[in-house]
Amino acid sequence: MKRIAYLFLFICYSAGIHAQPPTEDTLSIDMGAPPASADLRPYIYSLDMPGRSFSLSQINQQTFTHQPELFHPQPRYNKQPHNCWLKFTIRNTGLKDSSLTFFTGWHDFMYWYAGTHNHYQLLSQTGLMLDRGNVNRWERYAFPVVVPAGQSRTFLLHIINRSYNESALMPVLYDGLGYERFRNHQINTFRAEAVVIQVLLGMLLVFLTIAIINYIQLPDRSYLYFAAYILGLIMFFALRLESKPYQLSVFHRWPMLKYYWNIPALLFCFYLMYLMFGNAFLNLKERYPYMERIFTIAAACTGGVIIIFFYCIAQQLYHVPGIIYSYLYLGLLLPQLIVFVALAKRSRHHPLVRFFLLGSICYYLASLLGFIFQIKPLGFFNALGMFSAPNMPMIAGVFLQAMFFLAGLSYRNKLVHHERTKTQEMLIKQLNKNKELQRKLNEQLEELVKEQTSEILRKKQELEEQRQIQLNIEYDKKLTEIELKAIRAQINPHFIFNCLNSIQLFVMQRDYEYAQKYLSDFSYLIRKTLDFSRRNFITLTDEITYLNTYLGLEKMRFENKMEYDIRVDPAIATTELEIPAMLLQPYVENAVKYGMTNPNQPIGRLIIRFQQLAGDILECIVEDNGIGITRSKELRTLPKHHQSSGMEISSNRAELLNKMYNTDIHIEVIDKFARNFTESGTIVRILIPQL
Amino acid sequence: MIKAIIIDDERNSRDIISLMLGKYCPQVQIADTASDCADGISKIKQHQPQLVFLDLEMPDGTGFDVLQGTQDEASFEAVFVTAFEKKFLHAIRFSEVEIILKPIDKESLLQAVQTVSQRINSQASKNRYRVLLDNFNHGKQANWNLLLPLANSQETTIRTTAIEYLESGMEGCSFYLEDGTVLQVERSFRHYADLFIPLRFYQVNNTQMVQLSHINRVMNDSQHILLNSGAQLEITERRKKDLLSFYR
Repeated sequence: MKRIAYLFLFICYSAGIHAQPPTEDTLSIDMGAPPASADLRPYIYSLDMPGRSFSLSQINQQTFTHQPELFHPQPRYNKQPHNCWLKFTIRNTGLKDSSLTFFTGWHDFMYWYAGTHNHYQLLSQTGLMLDRGNVNRWERYAFPVVVPAGQSRTFLLHIINRSYNESALMPVLYDGLGYERFRNHQINTFRAEAVVIQVLLGMLLVFLTIAIINYIQLPDRSYLYFAAYILGLIMFFALRLESKPYQLSVFHRWPMLKYYWNIPALLFCFYLMYLMFGNAFLNLKERYPYMERIFTIAAACTGGVIIIFFYCIAQQLYHVPGIIYSYLYLGLLLPQLIVFVALAKRSRHHPLVRFFLLGSICYYLASLLGFIFQIKPLGFFNALGMFSAPNMPMIAGVFLQAMFFLAGLSYRNKLVHHERTKTQEMLIKQLNKNKELQRKLNEQLEELVKEQTSEILRKKQELEEQRQIQLNIEYDKKLTEIELKAIRAQINPHFIFNCLNSIQLFVMQRDYEYAQKYLSDFSYLIRKTLDFSRRNFITLTDEITYLNTYLGLEKMRFENKMEYDIRVDPAIATTELEIPAMLLQPYVENAVKYGMTNPNQPIGRLIIRFQQLAGDILECIVEDNGIGITRSKELRTLPKHHQSSGMEISSNRAELLNKMYNTDIHIEVIDKFARNFTESGTIVRILIPQL
Repeated sequence: MIKAIIIDDERNSRDIISLMLGKYCPQVQIADTASDCADGISKIKQHQPQLVFLDLEMPDGTGFDVLQGTQDEASFEAVFVTAFEKKFLHAIRFSEVEIILKPIDKESLLQAVQTVSQRINSQASKNRYRVLLDNFNHGKQANWNLLLPLANSQETTIRTTAIEYLESGMEGCSFYLEDGTVLQVERSFRHYADLFIPLRFYQVNNTQMVQLSHINRVMNDSQHILLNSGAQLEITERRKKDLLSFYR
């Protein structure tokens, strides 16, 4: 708006009409050679009664008066809708019909009439809110003044400004060249401004893109609010993207949008979205819950106010939003300051607050600066009315604010990133630490396991050794025990004492020869028994001699009631062949003991046979003609616990020998009766593999 | 004269017994001999002897079988003659039946014959043989019965488990039973000390021997043991430790 003012000043200066000319009814101009421009203020009569509007038919009854205060070279705040009629009369003093151009500024509704007294004809109508005629409509704000040569003509201009903000209202009459110059100048000025706005729009679009991209990358509400804020600004400035003044080049099809968005945009951008953005951006919910409540309430109120604005605009009360906005702005300065201070106090712990505050302060200061700049030329109230109109400081402020906010967002991203990196680093560190710990633990465990394994192995080995030793000891013990038992069994005490008894008898009977033989045989047997019991193997010859002696003694005891026969296979080398010592003796003894008990056989017959079998096996057979092992067992009336175990010892011994020498001595006890022999008796078959 | 029979499966044995009896014990008259159980039983039934010399192990049975077989039809004193029969020795000793070991020596033969003669003369009860057979047929030594020759020339039979403790006396020894009875026994303390070795007896001091199952507690603070009956016996420190080790 300022530029218009400056323009007018320039025009006034250049035309040299800054001094008020004397008032005249009719302007007489030689339209063939007119001045470049002429100030029509002294020649214009106007009808301007506040609060009243007149139709074309009514104005004839009204008196037009001279009201120079009506005009203003700069935008003015009227405090009410402006509805006025201008009237002037021109007389062409020249010689030819000519046309000049009349220009009073850009207004909402303009109706151009021409005619003579009491008879006017509507020539054209135009206006910001009226003309839908694209870019060309800008040309229509200048009305052609056509007056035939030598004639006078009266023109009427009806101007309606619903908005309280009125653009410059300055009636100037241009000739063709002057108007062209004026028009070019205007266009150049507007173009310069359009470039600024275009650049701003471009930047805002970049911001918007960044915000949206960021939001997609990192879905954070503050980006969304920022994007909305930027979008609002883009809309706001796009409305002002005019290559020519007041033509609403983009939104001319719906000029009301200018009203609908002008002030609400400011509220939307600088209050609603600003608050919501601040709320989300500073994360007040967590960091400053009280402030968050204030912000939320304020945002809600702003939303309400915006709706009220829309309602007012719809009701054609265009001025109300402007007024409310200006008062809101001024009225909120102090509370905002308090909020800023409160926020600033937190800035040390919350670096984002700085960005927010700097951005906010930039805008508000710039806005205030713009306002103050306007006070000077416009006066306080006019300036107040023009609050919502963008000016350079405000644009700069807006731009700075957007920059700061974006920087803040970036900084926040950086913080987030930083934090994430830090967390990641920490995690990695922790992970490494854990890994290290795990490794250490594993190592320790492994060591422990190794230790314990070796310990276990050692213990096991020890145990094994001990077991081996124990086993050996036990083995030895068992062996010794069995050997001892064998001795006992083999030198049956019963037999010994009976022998001694017999010897005693012979002595008493004075049968000394018999006694001596008995005694020598007996001592041989005892000596051999003692000898053999210490040896594991004896030759077959020894065994045969031993058995012979033993059986001889037994025969003597039993008074020839028994016979015995030892048969040796001549193929056997008896002096070389070795057999386990004392293996046969228990079986022979048993055969003697139980072989004598057969009532059907008056003489017990005992046969011992040694035979060589195939595969180097020595077969020893002890055969008697007693009642047989089965019956003799039945006959034994002794309770179980009294039974002797001589034969068991022998079989145990065979097992032991088998183990010790890895041989396969086999002992088989056969009852003749059970095997369907013709006579009863027992056969013991012992197989001794030769070593 | 004492009418006797010799039962032995070996002729040499029979010969030497009769020889020695003829030489040293003329009062014993050998009525007959037998070489196995069955023959022995029939000879006993036939002759009704006062004394029988019995071999323990014979081809068709043992001396106990002979006793068993003649229990109802004959009444005689028996003297066992055996070469080596450790396993039967305890049962015989518990019942106070005479036993002579081969080769027979003069003194033990004389001693045995004298003892038996006294019994025959005094017509002593034949309880000992029942006790012997019972013990022999009964497995567990701990449950055996014990025939005690009392100081008053009487005799009594007790369960071994009933003995609480025995005590050495001037002559013979005293048996303290769980029911409180005290028996004065002719035989020496040492005799029973040996006899009870396989059983659960413990000699707590020089003169007393206690059956372990009758001990109530071993006093911690004094040199005493308390029996179930309430009697307190002295025990030496060394033996106390030894005794306690039984219970671990």
